[in-house]
Amino acid sequence: MENEKRERMLIDYIEGNLSDAERAMIENEMAQNIEVREMYDQLKEVMGLLNQTHPIKRSHSLQANFEKMLQQEITKSEKNLVKEHSPSYTKTLSGRQVYISSWVLRTAAVLVLVLIGVVIMNDLNHKREHEKEVATIKKELNDNKKLMMTLLQNQQSASQRLQGATAAYEMNNTDDEIVKALVNTMNEDTNSNVRLTALEALGKFYWQNHVRSALIKSLTTQKDPVVQMALIRMLVQMKEKEVITQLEKITRENSVIKAVKDEAHWGILKLS
Amino acid sequence: MKIERLISDEQVMEAVKGGELQQASILFDRYNKRIFNFFRQLSNDTMLSEDLTQNVFLRMIKYRNTYREGKRFQSWIYQMARNVFADHYQSNKNKANYIDVEKMSYQLPEIEENEEEREQRLHRSLSRLSDEQRELLVLTRFQHLKYEEVAEMMNTTVANIKVRVHRAIGKLREFYFEMENR
Repeated sequence: MENEKRERMLIDYIEGNLSDAERAMIENEMAQNIEVREMYDQLKEVMGLLNQTHPIKRSHSLQANFEKMLQQEITKSEKNLVKEHSPSYTKTLSGRQVYISSWVLRTAAVLVLVLIGVVIMNDLNHKREHEKEVATIKKELNDNKKLMMTLLQNQQSASQRLQGATAAYEMNNTDDEIVKALVNTMNEDTNSNVRLTALEALGKFYWQNHVRSALIKSLTTQKDPVVQMALIRMLVQMKEKEVITQLEKITRENSVIKAVKDEAHWGILKLS
Repeated sequence: MKIERLISDEQVMEAVKGGELQQASILFDRYNKRIFNFFRQLSNDTMLSEDLTQNVFLRMIKYRNTYREGKRFQSWIYQMARNVFADHYQSNKNKANYIDVEKMSYQLPEIEENEEEREQRLHRSLSRLSDEQRELLVLTRFQHLKYEEVAEMMNTTVANIKVRVHRAIGKLREFYFEMENR
């Protein structure tokens, strides 16, 4: 066997990627050929070192600099938004006069007008088609929403409610009605998995203010420890500093189990 | 059901793309350590690695609109990090501090090495690899990226990446034990 191929096989052997037959073959070679054995030992040492290399610590200024840069970008982006909506940026053609001096130019102008007319008609047709497509999509979304709501409200079957919550997770948009149904499921459903999936679905839209408020509100009413822990973790991920007081309250409550209290302690630590 | 999956990187990035810039700090928290180590392992320069890490996250925010829905965020940010690194070295036309390796050979201990010293020798050996081989090992071994992800980033096949990684390990072994015998 050529050297490079043997080396590649030894690497696969160390990583456990060989078939039984290949493994037996390479083990046999190692037993008979001291050079192959030595190559194996060397590869093992180098690969072992590659796997255990320690991460290097960064300075704290990296975090501070990032926060500073982020704030600058946020301010910049807000300024741009204001500019885009400012009236001084709207273009105007008022006051401009156009003189047509010969019949050639007049004909050209007529042709241009006809062309503009055709383009506008085309555009209108496209718009109508687009509106039709949008209406179809809206209808489909509406149908999906209805189906999801029906599944969520099926009190007889937890698996159907789970399907409903999963369908909500897969949706790209949400509205008040869906959020309300999901919050209700997260707080009231009798099945833990359904409640957790509803929470996951809500988490997908966490940057929308009404979803955030619903999640924060649920922290005070939620009684299921599994959901409570997931909810705390999610609010911490969302960097919701205003929940610190509620978390502190959870740590003091006698009825709350230790795991949830630990999660709340961790949350306070992360947010403060 | 894993709690960690509650808000995926892709969902957060979609929010950033949608104008919720504050959410970028979630991605910074999740990735800054790894990206910093990626640069540190490639360049052997802590200060530079911090600057480049900062640059990656600045680009992430500035070019947020280029993030395509459904694309794995991890691949996207590492691709950005690779570009930042390439840009830096193209504009500076200098190689990483790794070039000093040869000078460092006098430091090799004659007595038995401890773990830290072996790690140092490994880094010196890494520095002798080609830029491409070093990057491949940093991505797959230190950053633990899957061959599939690296293949996607480098626009090639998984089999090709595997062969190249194996060759890089072979070369690393050669340099590593060459230093031992000096």
